[in-house]
Amino acid sequence: MTLFWLSVGFGFVTASVLAISAVGLSLQFGITNYINFAYGDFMALGAYFTYVLNAEFFHLNIWIALVFGSLLMGILAVLLNQFLLSPFARRFSKSFYVMIVTFGLSLIILNVIYSIWGPNVRNYTMPLEHVLHIGPFLLTRDQLIVMAAAVLMMLGVHLMLKTTRLGKSMRAMSDNTTLAMTSGIDTRRITTVTWFLSGTMAGIAGSVLGIAEGNLTPAAGELFLFVIFAAVIVGGVGSIYGAMAGAVLIGMATEVSAAFINPAWKLDVAFVILIITLLVRPTGLFSRPGKG
Amino acid sequence: MSAFWYYVFTLVFFLFDYFILAMGLNIQYGETGILNFAYIGFVAVGAYITGVTGMPSSAGTGQQYILGWGLPFPINLILGGLTASALALVVALIALRRLRTDYLAVVLISLSLVLYDVINNYVPLFNGADGLYNVPEPLAGFFKLTTNSFVPFFAMLTGVVAVIMWWVMSRITKAPLGRTLRAIRDDDGVAATLGKSVFRYKLTSMLIGSFYAGVGGGLIIQFGGSFNPTAWLPGETFVVFAVILVGGVGNNIGLLVGALLVETLLIHLPAFLPSIPGHPGLIEYIDTMVVGVLLMVMLWFRPQGVVPERIRRSPFTLAKRSGQTLDDRAVVVPVAPVEITTAVGQETTNG
Repeated sequence: MTLFWLSVGFGFVTASVLAISAVGLSLQFGITNYINFAYGDFMALGAYFTYVLNAEFFHLNIWIALVFGSLLMGILAVLLNQFLLSPFARRFSKSFYVMIVTFGLSLIILNVIYSIWGPNVRNYTMPLEHVLHIGPFLLTRDQLIVMAAAVLMMLGVHLMLKTTRLGKSMRAMSDNTTLAMTSGIDTRRITTVTWFLSGTMAGIAGSVLGIAEGNLTPAAGELFLFVIFAAVIVGGVGSIYGAMAGAVLIGMATEVSAAFINPAWKLDVAFVILIITLLVRPTGLFSRPGKG
Repeated sequence: MSAFWYYVFTLVFFLFDYFILAMGLNIQYGETGILNFAYIGFVAVGAYITGVTGMPSSAGTGQQYILGWGLPFPINLILGGLTASALALVVALIALRRLRTDYLAVVLISLSLVLYDVINNYVPLFNGADGLYNVPEPLAGFFKLTTNSFVPFFAMLTGVVAVIMWWVMSRITKAPLGRTLRAIRDDDGVAATLGKSVFRYKLTSMLIGSFYAGVGGGLIIQFGGSFNPTAWLPGETFVVFAVILVGGVGNNIGLLVGALLVETLLIHLPAFLPSIPGHPGLIEYIDTMVVGVLLMVMLWFRPQGVVPERIRRSPFTLAKRSGQTLDDRAVVVPVAPVEITTAVGQETTNG
């Protein structure tokens, strides 16, 4: 039973990372209507930016490094959108082209990371942590911060979407871009802001993944991207709240199953859930019309 | 045989093999519009099945693998292709019917990661991360080939296979089936309203394409004599996409040009360059980046590829151009059994 509760604790940590990354991916997908296959590499690059600030130069505290590293990734995402993705999306009406460009971008970023930092495993400079006993769970302070950050970010995204002008414009664009444009919403500006948010959340998620797993590898983001996809599809494509629910479900399922079967099969557990969802309820738990 | 010719024939082999792989992906992506990001997974399944059905029983080889039937060459290759098709059937029944193009792409890319994960971790299947090795050289005993003469022999044999498969594929793309597939690519809604079962045609396209993938993979394992998971990282799919997008989507001759430019010149030629001291693997990383950048530049400046898809005018358009009246046209050109036209009065075909 102890093992079960332990794995539930890890499940919460994984779900937190997943929730941040899945919401970042969903936000961008809702606005631009094409899937960013380079998202996993955005995460990895953000994690390496944090690594540079934390362990190579400046030697900032890990959390401060995370903030600046993620913002840097957000800015890079805006630039990539401005000069690469957005021109392709405007020029070709079929989303094939942009998706292939993001697929190519993913390979380019991955190999840039390999060229600069090499394939070896890297570690953040972090003080050693005491393990805290909270109820039946065993967690470090960092893991608690990760969870708190995830909850705060989800609340923040929720409030932004529901109350602010920006959030309302984003929801309008997500429903119908043309209609939003004719209603006087500056769609280009919203797209730019969305890419900044998406990139920043990718950076945060990547860095937090590095902290939670205790190490950094260039391909970590790409493998994780698949788990994000599973969470997004299970939750219901295009639905932010679905992405959150999917993240909790997939995060829990992968970690709890790892307590009972070989942890090497984590990915496959997520894939099986994905397949079952497709067979039983292909639109996901919280589907939205027009997006599935 | 000198090392130089050995290299040349290795390049020739990969040229023909990627021509086959590109044809398989082209019927899925270029003709039907299915964004199959799991393509390399089908290649790998074909390769492994070709390997294990061609190899003798695993007892005493120091490797663990299933089957081990020791079948002669063309039979195991065909089995490899058929198994890849069988996998495609399962995937299509679960995912193809239910999902829009982009979610299908997501599920497929996930599939390729999971296939990779399973084959890498589950050793009894295909010897896990070590992969298969000591795969017997096909027909070597029959033609009394040595290790040196095997390479040019097999490169030429692959050429023969590629020509046969090209002939079959050009028949398919010229046939009504090919026209229907292109109609689905251009607008599946229109194809459906004209009574075409979009799902069945997409399924057909997946099965044919996966067979090509499996055969291409089978030839790789027979040529190199070994195959392991590092040979088919999920990113490899991108190389095949680059081949067809650079060469020309929907044009079989363009695919050969694409295979020459991307696979032979960009991927395999740099492998013979000496590595930069102190930076192992750097050339490979830069090489991959160059392929990615080249693809984006091509998509932007020449999205139709080096050799674009040929456009065949329908009899109607041709008659109109030659200045005939409506009545003449009805007499001179009997209405051809055009299945569906892709755009107004335009029919496309392939070489």
